[in-house]
Amino acid sequence: MRIERDTERGRAVTLSVNGQSLAAFEGEMLATAMLHHAAAFRRDTRGLERGLFCNMGSCSECMVTLLPSGRRARACLTPVSDGMEVRTDG
Amino acid sequence: MERCDVLVVGGGLVGCAAAWHLAAAGASVTLVDAADFGLGASGQNAGSLHFQIERRFLEQGDALARQAEQTIALSRMAIEDWRGLEAALDADLHVVMDGGFMVAETAEQVTMLERKVEREIREGLRMRLLDGDEARRIAPYLSPSILAAGYAADEGHADSRAIVPAYAAAARRAGARLIGRTRLDRLQRVGGGFEAGAGDLSIRAGQLLVAAGAWTPHICAMANLHAPLYPVALLMNVTERSRTLEVPHLVQHVGRRLSMKQTGAGNILIGGGWPSRLARTADGGFDPGVRPELIGDSLAGNLRAAIDTVPAVAGLNLIRSWTGVTAVSADQLPVVGEVPRLPGFWIAGGGSAFTLGPTFARLVAQAIGGTPAPELDFVSPARFEHLNSFMG
Repeated sequence: MRIERDTERGRAVTLSVNGQSLAAFEGEMLATAMLHHAAAFRRDTRGLERGLFCNMGSCSECMVTLLPSGRRARACLTPVSDGMEVRTDG
Repeated sequence: MERCDVLVVGGGLVGCAAAWHLAAAGASVTLVDAADFGLGASGQNAGSLHFQIERRFLEQGDALARQAEQTIALSRMAIEDWRGLEAALDADLHVVMDGGFMVAETAEQVTMLERKVEREIREGLRMRLLDGDEARRIAPYLSPSILAAGYAADEGHADSRAIVPAYAAAARRAGARLIGRTRLDRLQRVGGGFEAGAGDLSIRAGQLLVAAGAWTPHICAMANLHAPLYPVALLMNVTERSRTLEVPHLVQHVGRRLSMKQTGAGNILIGGGWPSRLARTADGGFDPGVRPELIGDSLAGNLRAAIDTVPAVAGLNLIRSWTGVTAVSADQLPVVGEVPRLPGFWIAGGGSAFTLGPTFARLVAQAIGGTPAPELDFVSPARFEHLNSFMG
């Protein structure tokens, strides 16, 4: 789903989301990388799939836990970095 | 010209609930709202089910606190109403009634709390006064700085966004006609009843119930009546979901503005009566129809009170703050009943109308139907009748 033509990307990086390895490029936001992999980020209390809604820092639907710090962050505002470790079930 | 027994103006909690009770009792009911249902205070509040005497009564001295004792009788009825509401409406309203704390942090607050709990027990509320350690045994999330807490076994919370749609659906099932997005432009006494209209729509009703929250004075003015209800703008906040912090109770503070509770999804709702700033109309009046402006000091003060009471919330992200408008009466008590100056003209609103709304609505519907509800005597608009001695 990434645009492949006439675009320059940052360095290829690998991150881990819920223990699963994910390929991304420097300069992308975490939400972008997660969305490329799967539309659903988590399941709600009724077991229904939920993803990000606004992609601009307003709805907080894409809140994830960054490890090892445990800091909570909105994936849509968090740039990826190599070796980044993320959980969505916090 | 449409005809009905009762016209309800206002599609919030009280209006939709009253329409349901009236229709279920066999009356023909039409309800109109200028917007969609539940968009005002009914849907903007944080959903506390609070049965202890409210802090806003205690801070105004003894006379008002004694008045507030009278609301305990209503609170006891509201406990029963809320316990049966999900079954009665056949709806999931996220009603949780696992108890609520009103905490104290200073010796002065403890004294205030002791007198309050004594009053409440005397009036028949299921209450206990706990010291700090006893409170923390039930609620380990409370701060070590909490010296004492009033514990009300029946307190809790419900989803304010679910209640109005559930009442509206029940009212429709019972045969009521609910009309949204229709702003009344005329209302007058005609013969023994009332005639109201909005553009091409004309409705003739035997009786009229105004349950329009902060808009109630405006609706009453159309009928040449004063209603002593005033718009007030408040602040509510919500944190991200937490799975580590569990707050299964309603938490309030006897000396500071605070209400806290946790939603089923895990978010912590934080409110408690911190002000925001009402919008103004072009000619200088207050405009309850425009979202109030957030006040930074209120946000900081509200969150500080929350962290001092439940320290673990400091580790959560705030994801949203919103402002909303409710109405408070001239003496802080609700205004529910018939206006003596204009028989058949009923008002229901003003204060605690989420917690007490189902009970106001049930009782005022009963009274409109012809069976007196003496439980409402002390909140009757009759106490403000002097304002209408040149009106009507």
